[in-house]
Order: sequence, then structure tokens, then C-alpha cells
Amino acid sequence: MTETAKPTIPESDWSSLLHDNSRTGGQGVRAAHAPDRARWQIRVGSSIRSAPILRNGMLYVTSLAGILQACDVANGRQKWKFQAADQVHSTPSLWGNKVLFGCDDGKVYAVDCDSGTKVWEASSAAEVWTSPVVRNGVVFFGSADAHMYAVEAKTGRARWTQELGGRIYSTAFAAEKQLYVGCGDGKVYSLDISSGKILWSTPTGNGIDSSPAVVANILLIGSEDFFVYAMDVNSGVVRWKYETGLGIASSPAASGDLAFIGSKDGYLYALEIQTGRLRWKAQAGDVVTAPPVIGDGVVCIQAGGTFAFDIATGNVVWKAGLAGAVQSVPVLTGDVIYLASNDGEVYALE
Amino acid sequence: MDRRTFVKATCVGSASLFLKDFDLLAQAEVTLPQPPPIEVHGLPQAKPSPLGMPGLFPGRVVEISDPGSIVRNRVSQPVVCRMLEDGMKDLTGESSVRAAWAKFIDPADTVGIKINPSGAPACCSSPEIVREIISGVQSVGVPARNIVIYDRYSYEIDIGSYQALLTPGVRVVGIQDGFVDTSGYDPNVYCDANFFGEWETRSYMASIVAHGVTKIINVPTMKDHSASGVTGCLKNLGYGTFNNVARSHRAPYSFTNPLIGVMCSVEPLRSKAVLHIMDGMRQVWHGGPLTQVQDFIYQAGLLLVGTDPVAMDTIELQLIEKKRREQGAPSVWEHDPKSITPDGHEFYHDATKNLFFRQPGHIAAAGKLGLGIADLKQIDHRQIHAA
Repeated sequence: MTETAKPTIPESDWSSLLHDNSRTGGQGVRAAHAPDRARWQIRVGSSIRSAPILRNGMLYVTSLAGILQACDVANGRQKWKFQAADQVHSTPSLWGNKVLFGCDDGKVYAVDCDSGTKVWEASSAAEVWTSPVVRNGVVFFGSADAHMYAVEAKTGRARWTQELGGRIYSTAFAAEKQLYVGCGDGKVYSLDISSGKILWSTPTGNGIDSSPAVVANILLIGSEDFFVYAMDVNSGVVRWKYETGLGIASSPAASGDLAFIGSKDGYLYALEIQTGRLRWKAQAGDVVTAPPVIGDGVVCIQAGGTFAFDIATGNVVWKAGLAGAVQSVPVLTGDVIYLASNDGEVYALE
Repeated sequence: MDRRTFVKATCVGSASLFLKDFDLLAQAEVTLPQPPPIEVHGLPQAKPSPLGMPGLFPGRVVEISDPGSIVRNRVSQPVVCRMLEDGMKDLTGESSVRAAWAKFIDPADTVGIKINPSGAPACCSSPEIVREIISGVQSVGVPARNIVIYDRYSYEIDIGSYQALLTPGVRVVGIQDGFVDTSGYDPNVYCDANFFGEWETRSYMASIVAHGVTKIINVPTMKDHSASGVTGCLKNLGYGTFNNVARSHRAPYSFTNPLIGVMCSVEPLRSKAVLHIMDGMRQVWHGGPLTQVQDFIYQAGLLLVGTDPVAMDTIELQLIEKKRREQGAPSVWEHDPKSITPDGHEFYHDATKNLFFRQPGHIAAAGKLGLGIADLKQIDHRQIHAA
């Protein structure tokens, strides 16, 4: 594991989808042993389109029924649940003692981790499928109303809004001074993080719902035009692009000198971050739309089932015929893997 | 037509269809079971509209083709824009695109655009075409908030990424989440038939169709179908509006004929479906409707535009059959037991195999219910090719 794989953000920040470039959900790069059995399995009552997150022995899961629930990882029992007003497609994120998530009612909710009560809410004019990200005490989120929003993490009070050219289903990446996000108008935008002013935009050939990762001054993102793009973070100039077989809704995860991303053509691709050269590709099902996550020596992804590929070769290390997902991502810990599935099941596998 | 009369008419229609099918079956090597009667409960207060199927232009099908419309499996937005404009003007005889759209849509309408995301991402209603339809509807004066893009299964819409790719302000709605979610359906509007002894014999109409929209623009794809022969305007509309439809086919038998046509006849679906724009950018000639195998997907670069779903599906059937002949695959009419396999993998990779005895006769059956013209000699098939 080289230096670039390590998160370079403060521990208190949650700067990207699932916390960091490796999509770890804040767990750091952990082992992902082949699971032998289920420790527990629960049914949340509706589909899960988002990824669960984990902190302090509590697994936070959102579901289409509009429920955020906290489950004790020891036994899967629900500690509390919070009912939002509409469906939830947003992967939650954590800041301080709050769970943040978007809702189809156009709001982002901040819910207390201990009690499950609402601390604040922030409104937009259309559904929020993106995952809120936090940097230096400010929450950033995109909405289907074609606006990016910045609100204070403590209160939800508005800082700024910025209109873009299309619906936003891409979770932003918050760097120290710039915010990066893909947009339904096919462009990748860089915004000034303090004002929301557009610094640059670079077009791709179709809409974007992939979420960017930023590694060593290179922004990585997929587009529905079938290409993976690498752009200079300061100028938006395209350094390279790599063509896959169909559109890309997955988001890149990075480890060492490699970026991993799925395509709707059913493959997971390992590309060299600096050059875009293909290191390997491996079939993960008929269609891949979820992001991968990096484990210790493996890259895991959910498609029709759950797969772990050798990070160096792309060979299948293990696979499980469960937890088919549209946008869910495994939570890897040292001993247990937590999976959420499109059909509303949550598994703890050990 | 009251409910009792309608049910009777349906049964008479079906009875006459049974005779036709009997002729076909007499030539086949298997004896297929006869379909049961289907009881129909339409929306009592629904008033039939002259715009309803077969619509303003019965028997007219405008086919627009341009090889530049799909290149390396990517649909060209500007090319499909021009194709759709040409098609709309030719269909209606109007000289302006706006006037063509105004034949079907009023500014006060709430417009449902019925996409087909089944088979996404390999073959589904192209977002590029849906965007052009949205523009056309907006050109008449319908605000974006009154345009609803919908289909039955939300997860299929998600896989197609329609939410991200469509115009801001329009609503994108998946009627149901899981297979057992009935909350999006009207319990008073349904078709009732017991095909295989199933526990639930009713299929309910989606509330968004019964009550939510005032007009429907149907955007099917061009595919073969393992149970119905092809899936086009009729199947996208009927099986995409009612729930619990997979029960109509249990391998190797299929009652998609006559259920598809019967469902399309139910008010208010019949009256609200005023325009059909078939996406033939990609043409699935085997493995439909869900295949992801690119070997069986031909990048045809076609659009079909019309108001008569029966005529359009008849042309579609002709095109699929032609492609299958070119590829050495048997006709979708074939009922040779040797072609049937219970093995899904074999079906998806061998064009000579199928899961069901297909029922392309559902198109003619729908014609007998008054939904359109199935006789090729009577179809006004217009073709516009790129220069």
C-alpha cells in the first residue's frame, strides 16, 4: 500500500462518498476474508439503494421506506429508527455525533447518533440522492434541482447555493479549497469551496451520476458516455480517458497507483491512475453500477452478488451469491463484512 | 360501454381469437392450453377519448432511419432530435414540430412518458430520445413538473440512470419497488384471470395511469420476447401498467395472448395512450426482454412513430423476423418442442432456443379488440431514410 492510498483528510472530515478515496466508510483499509457464515441477518422492510456505514459498533442503514436505522453490530438489533418524509436513496455520512443523509423530499437530515432524533434539516427543491460530505464544518450536497448546497454542519444554516446545468446525482468530493462534482448535464465542475463560484467545468459525452475521487492532483470519475476520465484538479484538463463497454454509474475507488471502477458492461476495471493504462478487468456480473471498496489486498464490489478480487491480478478471491445491489458497498472490518442488498436484507458475515 | 358489456366484448373477442389460434395450433407439433376468460374492471367514470388507441392515425406507421443515430452503441442527441421532428411532422401532416405535438398534448395536460427500462443498460428506452420527447411536450406549454417519466420497477429505472440523465424538473417515478409492493395500484381497476392456478388472479392498474396523468406517450423498445414473441407498444403499455403480469407465462406456456391486448383495452389506459414512439436504436432479435448479450443486439438506428400500437407492433414483428432470418434463427412463431429449453443460460446464448412457446398472435388479437390494424396490406408504412 503506497502513500497515495492513505486518506489525507482530517479524521473529523468526511470529504467524499463513504469518507475517502478507498470508499472505506471511515473504517480504513481492512482485511476482507472470505466469509464462512452469517453472524446475523435482518430485513429492513424495503429496498436498500444506499451503502451502510459503521461507527462505534453501530451500523447505520437507510432504505427506500424513508427510514434511517441504527443497528447494534453484535446482534443486528435495532437501537433506534428515524422516519423521514419520503424515500431515501442517499448513502449516509457521519460528522461528529450526527448521521447525515439526503431524502427524496428534497431535504438533508442531521440525526443524533445516540438518540436517533433530528438535529436539523436543510432544504432543496428536489430529491437528494447524493451523500452529504463534510469539510471544515461545512456540509456539501447536490440535489436533483440542479443546485449544489453548502450548509453549516452544526446547524444546517445555509452558506451558499450554486446552480449547475443539470440534475446532480454525483456525490461531491470536498478538497481543502475546491469542491468537485459530476452533473447530469455531462460536465464535471470545480467550485470554490468557500463561495460556490464555478472555477472550471469540463464536458464529457453524456450525463454523470458517478462520484469523483481525487488522488495526487488527478480527479477520477466515470460518465454515462462509457469513459473513465482523469482530469487535472486545477484546470479540468483531461489527462486521459479510458473507454469501457457501456455507461458508468459506479464511482472510482483508489489504492496505490490504481483506480478501480465498475461499468454497466458488467466489468470491474483496474486502471493506472497516472496513465489510464488497463492493469486488469474482471467480470462481476451482467451489470455493475455500485462503487467498489478497497480491502487489504482485495477490491470488493456488489453487483448481482458480492465479489472480492485480488487487487494485483483481478482474480476472484471469493464471491457470495447474495446482496445484489444497485448502489450498495460492503463495510469491511477485520472480522466481519456487512452487506446491504437491493431486496432489503442486511447481513453480517464472518 | 359499461363493465358488463365490456367483459362480454372481451370474451367474444377472445373467443374469435381462440378460433384463429386453433388453426395455428393445428399446424404445430404441440397442443397448447387454451387461455381462460379474463374479467375486466375498468375505471367506471372513464370517458373514451377519440385520441385513444388506435388514435388519430389508425394504420399509419412512420419509420425514420439514420445510421448516424447510433454509433459505437452511443445514441446521437442531435440526430435523434431531427429524426423525431421528421417523424412527428410526417405522422401528422403538420409543417411545424410544435403543431405536430399540439395534435396530442394540451398545455393543461399532465403527461406520462412510459419508458421501458427492462433490459437496461444493454437495451432500454434511450434517454436521448426521452429528452427529445420532453422537449416536444414542453414546446406545447406543459411545464416540466407536469411531465412524469414512469415504469413499474424503480430499480430498473435506477440501473438506467434516467434520474441523472433527464431534464431538471420532470418527475421520474418507479411504480413499485419489490415484486409484492401493491401500494402504487388502484384496487378497483383490474383484470382477473386464473392462468395456472395462481394464488393471486388479479392484475391491478397503476394509480399513476388511472388517476395521475391525463395523456401517455409510450416509448417501447424493439425486442423479441421469450413469451410474447415481441415486446413493443402493446406489451410495454399493458404489462407496464398492470402488476402481477409475469403469472401469464409459466414455462413453456404463455397466455400473453390475449392478456396483453385485453389490458391495453382497459379504460382509462386505452384513451390516455395517444402517441407511441418506438425506440429502435437497438434491436434485440434474441434473448429479449432482459438480455445483456451484445451478440443479439443489432444497432438498427430506427424510430417508429404512430398512434396505432397494433400497426406499429406488426411492423416491429416484421423487422425482428427479418433480422432473425438473416441470423439463421427460427421464427418467433415456431412451436417446435425441440426448441424449448428450461435452461436460462442456454436460452440467453443460443438463438435457436427459447423458454416458452411464443405468442406473437397477441398483436392480431389486440387488433380484434379494436386497438389498431394488424393487416400489413392495410398499414400505411411510411419510411424516411437519412439522405
